[in-house]
Amino acid sequence: MSATTNAPVATAGTTPGARTRPGLVAPLRWEIRKLRAQLRAKAVLIGALVLPVVVVVVIHGQSRPPKDTLFGRFATVNGFALALLILGFAAQWVLPLLTAVVAGDIFAGEDQHGTWKTVLTRSTSRARLFWAKTLTAAGFAAIVLAVLAASTIASSVLIVGHEPLTGLSGQTIPAAEALRLVAVSWATMLPPMLGFTCLAILLSVWSRNPAVGIAGPVVIGMVMQLVGALGGVEAVRPFLLSTPFEAWHGLLADPRFTGPLLDGLLTSAVWCALSLTAAFTLLRRRDITGG
Amino acid sequence: MNQGLAVEATGVSKTFGSVRAVDDITIRVAEGEVYGVLGPNGAGKTTFLRMLFGLIRPDAGTIRILGRTWDESGVAVLDEVAGFIESPRFYPYLTGRQNLEGLALLDGGHPPGLLEEVLEVVEMDDRADERVGGYSYGMRQRLGVAASLLRTPRLLVLDEPANGLDPAGIRDMRSLVKRLADSGLTVLLSSHDMDEVEEICDNVTIMKRGTVAFHGTIAHLRTMAPQPGHVLATTDDVRALELAHQHPALRVARDPEAALVVTGARPAVSAYVATLVRADIDLLAFNQTQTPLEALFFMLTDDTAHQTLARPVEPTTVPR
Repeated sequence: MSATTNAPVATAGTTPGARTRPGLVAPLRWEIRKLRAQLRAKAVLIGALVLPVVVVVVIHGQSRPPKDTLFGRFATVNGFALALLILGFAAQWVLPLLTAVVAGDIFAGEDQHGTWKTVLTRSTSRARLFWAKTLTAAGFAAIVLAVLAASTIASSVLIVGHEPLTGLSGQTIPAAEALRLVAVSWATMLPPMLGFTCLAILLSVWSRNPAVGIAGPVVIGMVMQLVGALGGVEAVRPFLLSTPFEAWHGLLADPRFTGPLLDGLLTSAVWCALSLTAAFTLLRRRDITGG
Repeated sequence: MNQGLAVEATGVSKTFGSVRAVDDITIRVAEGEVYGVLGPNGAGKTTFLRMLFGLIRPDAGTIRILGRTWDESGVAVLDEVAGFIESPRFYPYLTGRQNLEGLALLDGGHPPGLLEEVLEVVEMDDRADERVGGYSYGMRQRLGVAASLLRTPRLLVLDEPANGLDPAGIRDMRSLVKRLADSGLTVLLSSHDMDEVEEICDNVTIMKRGTVAFHGTIAHLRTMAPQPGHVLATTDDVRALELAHQHPALRVARDPEAALVVTGARPAVSAYVATLVRADIDLLAFNQTQTPLEALFFMLTDDTAHQTLARPVEPTTVPR
């Protein structure tokens, strides 16, 4: 920097103060740009694309199917059944983990890098930054779910086959209908996954620690599943965020029932609202003394 | 509100737990001046600057920046304001240019060519496409200045901008700040280095444990400064001490390390040295112990020093 004494001071024909305050789109673009540059996010997406193929190949090669698991009996011979078997497994901890990798880090990462003071001294308010980050995390959750679902369904159907599916009530579901129901079943993961996204955001804001933000939702999700599996807690079960992950079962029964889907939607929405309200309040009131 | 004030902080306080980080301070910075906030570590300088930027909410008092307050204007209070707190921090996995582009997005964009121009000003144009994770401390400081200039500010707030830089970096950073100030920017900088403030600033507030120990002009500060002290080592300190009686304006004493400590105005010290030379006493060493302002700074901020000097003085602004 030894020659700076002769360098001009930046003006570029601008006048101080002539500033257009950005709306939500600008910080959203910034968050997406940062996310695209992060190795971790790319790794999650690549994993969601590749790992299902590996799992499908491995299970397809098994001589004995996992009969004790939902749709396990036909998993080695029916692609739709295998896609649903993987869905049941993913719902236990994979989906919370996949979304938490980004959502649990998106706020705490600013603390880790010490960049709150960098972004909060610009022309974007805390509220806009909060919503930009939240939308980015939610968008990532939707994308990673779509990639995982598409990869699982496609690889299962292409590698194992697309024979008609035997439903939970023993009914035979034609292949085209089975494909639609499997896709819808995967889609029903979105509300609880967004619930875990918001929970990860809350932990990220509260703890200021990416490790807590990422691992916390996974641990909490597993504890919820444990609690949900216990006897005598029927009154609590509808409020657990893990319960909506099982709501798709009604789609594969005969007659179909969708009550759990609506309940799950409501449960997920309440978790989202509570988590985001708490996270937003924490962030707005926080004194940025570090980072 | 006083017209022409870039910063008007009145009765501002902030407490963290049981620690009163800032205690009822009042600071006024006129537009166009270079204002220094000086103090030792823990004096409350950074807490005050964080409150300016809205990173911390004051418990009491009001802060008006270019006529606006956080309560009235929200984040709009930072329009025309830029700077950094402590060392500037960026996203290490992005390049310097990507960081600046992103920050410009948060400002609502930047005019064409400005990004290249600010990179050129801080001489980072040739390193802008490298990831920030590989930058040295000094490069990040310069990128911090570039990020600030992207906002085309009227008020530039720099928190210890030369902190952690090597001597060449310090010289260049000071030079850059002076050029920015000469271009008409109001500069508010914090420092714990008296030399830096003396070299750059027109007015200064000296903070001590969250309170204002002094504020006024540098010129006023100089008038309060004690006489400069020098350490003198000669081939015959005993005789040199005897010859000191010929110079009643000086105070000459022997310190435990067998050197002479000479306190007094520069002309008197020069005359004393001439006396020693005429008496065939060779000088082995002749060093200034502290600049007068450094000595005053320590007196104002050291709890064991003379408290009579630590009195607030009404601010006197020096228009540039």
